[in-house]
Amino acid sequence: MTSRSREKRRTAPAGGKTYAFQLFVAGNESNSTQARDNLARLCREYLTGRHEITIVDVLKDAATAYTHHVLVTPTLILIKPLPKVLLLGNLSDTRHVLAALRLIGGKQ
Amino acid sequence: MSSRKAPFRKPQIKGAAAEELVHALRTHQVDAIVGERHIMLVRLKQAEEDLELSRNQLRALTASLLSIRENERIVIAREIHDELGQALTCLQLGLSWIAGKVTARQQPVQDKVRSLAALVTTMIRTVQRIADELRPGVLDELGLVKALKSEARKFTGYTGTPCKFETNMGKTGCSREESIAIFRIAQAALTNVARHAEASKIMMSLMDGKTHFVLTVHDNGKGITREQISGAQSLGIIGIRERVLALKGSLNIRGSKTTGTTLTVRIPRPRILLSHRPVSS
Repeated sequence: MTSRSREKRRTAPAGGKTYAFQLFVAGNESNSTQARDNLARLCREYLTGRHEITIVDVLKDAATAYTHHVLVTPTLILIKPLPKVLLLGNLSDTRHVLAALRLIGGKQ
Repeated sequence: MSSRKAPFRKPQIKGAAAEELVHALRTHQVDAIVGERHIMLVRLKQAEEDLELSRNQLRALTASLLSIRENERIVIAREIHDELGQALTCLQLGLSWIAGKVTARQQPVQDKVRSLAALVTTMIRTVQRIADELRPGVLDELGLVKALKSEARKFTGYTGTPCKFETNMGKTGCSREESIAIFRIAQAALTNVARHAEASKIMMSLMDGKTHFVLTVHDNGKGITREQISGAQSLGIIGIRERVLALKGSLNIRGSKTTGTTLTVRIPRPRILLSHRPVSS
């Protein structure tokens, strides 16, 4: 609880910008499911009402993955605000993910 | 204008992204690798490993079951032979005693005793055969080679199809487990030949190679199909395979309509460790 509130305090003011994500997953594989859940939680906590998530299942739509040069799943791409950010893994390291998405002020 | 698809461009991965990828792979956070032509599920490897583990456990269980079954057979064979055999022998002696007491005027009683004695003799033979099938005494008493010779002889006797046996092995070649396994494999192979091959000649051999014992059963029958070899219904072959795997051996079955079927089992010889202890004078 403590760490979560500290992260919230250090959250960079997003200034009403909408965050658009594209999450590449492989069906219901465990890391993909975790990434889905973690992203939904992060958006709920830090970007309430200011996010768009597009889920791409590479098992059904590999072409989109090729287009975006996605190598592995799960992969999260922050489409906007620019610059684009690419994150690999199940997004379980909240601090790292928030820092990469510029939602908190850098890695400790 | 060319209608050909644009060639797939290899994604460039450098610096932080490369680090990110290595970290994700190391921490097992990757589910699938997206390739040019297909998606390779990383978890598939894990599933295969789990499957192999499960297979090995099943094999160990089968080996244990086979061993339990052999031991049970020994006990049942002994009980049948000792208890039932003893009782029938007593019965036969009793009937002989009665036959001795019956006078010439008691012809119907004499006939009855004689027929009962004949019946008891048949029963004794049956008991001996059942005990022998459960646990061939010849395997314990005279060893594998004599047991296989006897099996080939019996096969010829029962089926009328000549079964030759040859070997280069001495009396003490295999361990007890190996002897039982090879003997049961040979029995199962001969049963299969008798049931399915329609052969007129069978050749069985047991060879002692440098690294392996090799059992071969060849018949000149109608051959065997791949489906029959690997089919779930081929219980005889499944049993043979399980016994072979329990001894870390290999099984090869080849069949053709013209040349018949050849079953080859290779069982690795146990490694003998030689000690090099200095000999004190």
